[in-house]
Amino acid sequence: MPDPLLFLKSMGAAAIVSAMFVLAMAWRRPASSVWLNSVCVLAMGLGLALGCDMLAVRWTWPPVKALDRFLMIVVPMALGIELLAELQGMPRWVARFLRASLAATTPRILLHGSVYLSGAGNHWTRWEAGTALVLCGVLLAGAWGLLLWLSQRSGGISIPLALGLTTHCAGVTVMLAGYLRGGGTAFPLAATIVATVIAAKLITMRSDTPAKFDSPAIIGVGVIGLFGVLMIGQFFGRLSTGCALTLLLIPLLCWTTEVPFLRHRKPWLVGSVRLVLVAIPLLVVLAVAKRDFYRNMAPLLGDLPRHATK
Amino acid sequence: MRRLVSAWVWVLVIGAAVGGGGATYAADEYAYDLVHSSVSFKARHLDISWIHGRFNEVDGKFSIDREDPTKSTFELTIKADSVDTANKARDEHLRQPDYFDTKQFPTIEFKSKSTKPIKGGYEVTGDFTMHGATKKITLVLMGGKEHEFKGGVKRVAFSTELKLKRSDYGFDKSAIGPIGDEAIIMIDCEGMRK
Repeated sequence: MPDPLLFLKSMGAAAIVSAMFVLAMAWRRPASSVWLNSVCVLAMGLGLALGCDMLAVRWTWPPVKALDRFLMIVVPMALGIELLAELQGMPRWVARFLRASLAATTPRILLHGSVYLSGAGNHWTRWEAGTALVLCGVLLAGAWGLLLWLSQRSGGISIPLALGLTTHCAGVTVMLAGYLRGGGTAFPLAATIVATVIAAKLITMRSDTPAKFDSPAIIGVGVIGLFGVLMIGQFFGRLSTGCALTLLLIPLLCWTTEVPFLRHRKPWLVGSVRLVLVAIPLLVVLAVAKRDFYRNMAPLLGDLPRHATK
Repeated sequence: MRRLVSAWVWVLVIGAAVGGGGATYAADEYAYDLVHSSVSFKARHLDISWIHGRFNEVDGKFSIDREDPTKSTFELTIKADSVDTANKARDEHLRQPDYFDTKQFPTIEFKSKSTKPIKGGYEVTGDFTMHGATKKITLVLMGGKEHEFKGGVKRVAFSTELKLKRSDYGFDKSAIGPIGDEAIIMIDCEGMRK
């Protein structure tokens, strides 16, 4: 049975460590955007590692389960790529190439050794497996690219906050679909995204700092994190394809504020509209997930039979 | 002509030696008979009662060498997806990654490495693989009596019971909660050959 207190502790630890790390590393010196982004990447890595450790994640090598591969291969790769992308003098096309490579390989890494690729249980033919891997890669690259583009166009903390919100919701939905550990991992991830964004924003609000809030690194790790949780929940748990797709695409609703009517409004208004637009479908997804949970899991919840007296 | 006859004689002699020898010492190969076998398990629930279940899809083979029992081998492959506890919701829950993770680990396998004859059966040591973890275990297989049908179909049967801790096989400790860590697996299998 899930222990809500344990999840809260894990989220709290991840958030505090991430935020403290950003503030400690970037508060004293005038932080440039490059420095701040690099600090954010390290802060997210630290926060997630501590949060997952509190959830008793097994750090065993080689990772045999999809969730282990996600935490021990995919997330460190995302952190490493975002760190490299922030290096001064790094050509933009190299960063794009590295991100595209990660988007292309992530589905393959997550499905490694499973019935989908091994051919066991007559799940997929080689052709079907290839098509699914390409589709997943395209979806991930598409969502990642669109959010990065939006961040470059109008920036703000609302995009990474929307990602954090969606990741948290994805975790709850995966848990309600029956995969406790997989869903639980999303909580420290969401907490570290939100805490890092807020801490980085505080740094950039100081008058003496030249850094402008720009969050490609946070968006990168956030999108990979969200995709990983959803893909594991869908392929290994019982999260429906429709639900997984909806959750992956919900952060793209932030693009709605690019309509001429909203685009040139005050940043706080644009940010608020984005968060509201993201929160509404998330609430609907959660309500549907909760309904399905009670429908599917009721026999296991210890409800008394009708003839029994209470 | 003489050379040809001589060559044929050699071929026949070698053939008889190899073929005949093989027939003399070959172990009897039995295929797992799903109809007359069962792999079931039970685990504690809340430490007050037992939950029973079974695996409906099992495959395997064993070879019995009556002359040299140490050469006998046993293999069993259980499809984890076929778990059946007489409750669909629970079965679906057990297939999830918190439990059997059947999409990642579709089978539970046992392969013998050494066999020792004991009174009334065999003591078989081998690799037991479940949930991605392989451990060496020893099974005490009781039985081994043979029964022959009129059509020449031979049957042999064994029974064994195995206690294991789910945590030893990488099952999520936080999911162990209401269902006890220790599980008892009961195997009653019949093999057949023509």
